[in-house]
Amino acid sequence: MTFDQTTQRALRRLILSLADSKRLMGIRYSDWLLGAPSIETGIAASSMCQDEWGHARLLYSMLKDLGDDPGAAEHERPDDAYHSVDPLDAPFPDWAAVVAGMVLVDGALYVALDGFSRGTFEPATTRVPKMLAEEEFHESLATAWYRRLATSASDEAKGLLDAATRAMLPPMLAWLGAEDEGAMALVAAGVMPPAADLVASYKARVGPLVAGVGVDVDSVTVAAEWDAVRGRGPGHPDSDACERARGDRNRMLFVE
Amino acid sequence: MREFVYDVFARKERGEPLAHIGYVDALDDETARVYAWKTYDEQNWFEMCVVPRSAIIPVNRDDGPFAKGRGGAS
Repeated sequence: MTFDQTTQRALRRLILSLADSKRLMGIRYSDWLLGAPSIETGIAASSMCQDEWGHARLLYSMLKDLGDDPGAAEHERPDDAYHSVDPLDAPFPDWAAVVAGMVLVDGALYVALDGFSRGTFEPATTRVPKMLAEEEFHESLATAWYRRLATSASDEAKGLLDAATRAMLPPMLAWLGAEDEGAMALVAAGVMPPAADLVASYKARVGPLVAGVGVDVDSVTVAAEWDAVRGRGPGHPDSDACERARGDRNRMLFVE
Repeated sequence: MREFVYDVFARKERGEPLAHIGYVDALDDETARVYAWKTYDEQNWFEMCVVPRSAIIPVNRDDGPFAKGRGGAS
């Protein structure tokens, strides 16, 4: 299927948004390979990090179908060109934030990818289902940990989870619920489902969990600030994360 | 937060007997599934399952590995 220029531009934005988010998610998980609550949790974080980077690589490669160079997208963009979702701009400060990120950020990426895999962009229909299958283990871990922390006897744990949840929901609802020109073009071309469907799916997925810390997902005020070029809020990931994402530091040692 | 011991069993091919390949400490059945799959992922397993150690009942001796850590899973 061929797409008009507006749709191609929107598709490029969507792919970069998903790929950059996956790459940043992997970096944020990698910070917890050591220091997670148990050895098993650290191993799971390590494995999820590998999954996310693999998914990012597959998503970047879809840019070839739009005539772009995936290598340039991966290694040559400045920090402020990253399209990753807002909650990944800074490291997760504590394990409760990691758990909230698994549920609310990885969960939103799952919902978007699921919609993408059912649309008219052929590379997504063939490559995304395997990602979704791997993500089911992430969801299992996320859900179990979220419930544990939400019902924990520790007020500190519940407080940290509550704070992270309230910080992450507004930008993720804005991201899934965007109805700007690019998002509408993708819906019109059948590449993505309508935003209302994505939001409904997301709320059904995370709503019962966040209710555990007293958050009503229908009452959350959606983040208002929006950068239509990158399909996210203003701001960008911290420089250290972008350097790691691009592989700046030792790129000169990469020999083809 | 209390954790429980889960023993991990797996087989590489259909028809092979399940073998005990290790254990994980986990909060509950769900985290045990994930930890087992992520920890023992060096093989392309045909089947893997986890069993709470508390569910394993020693038959002929009480000094074997499965008699230890039988704390009771959630």
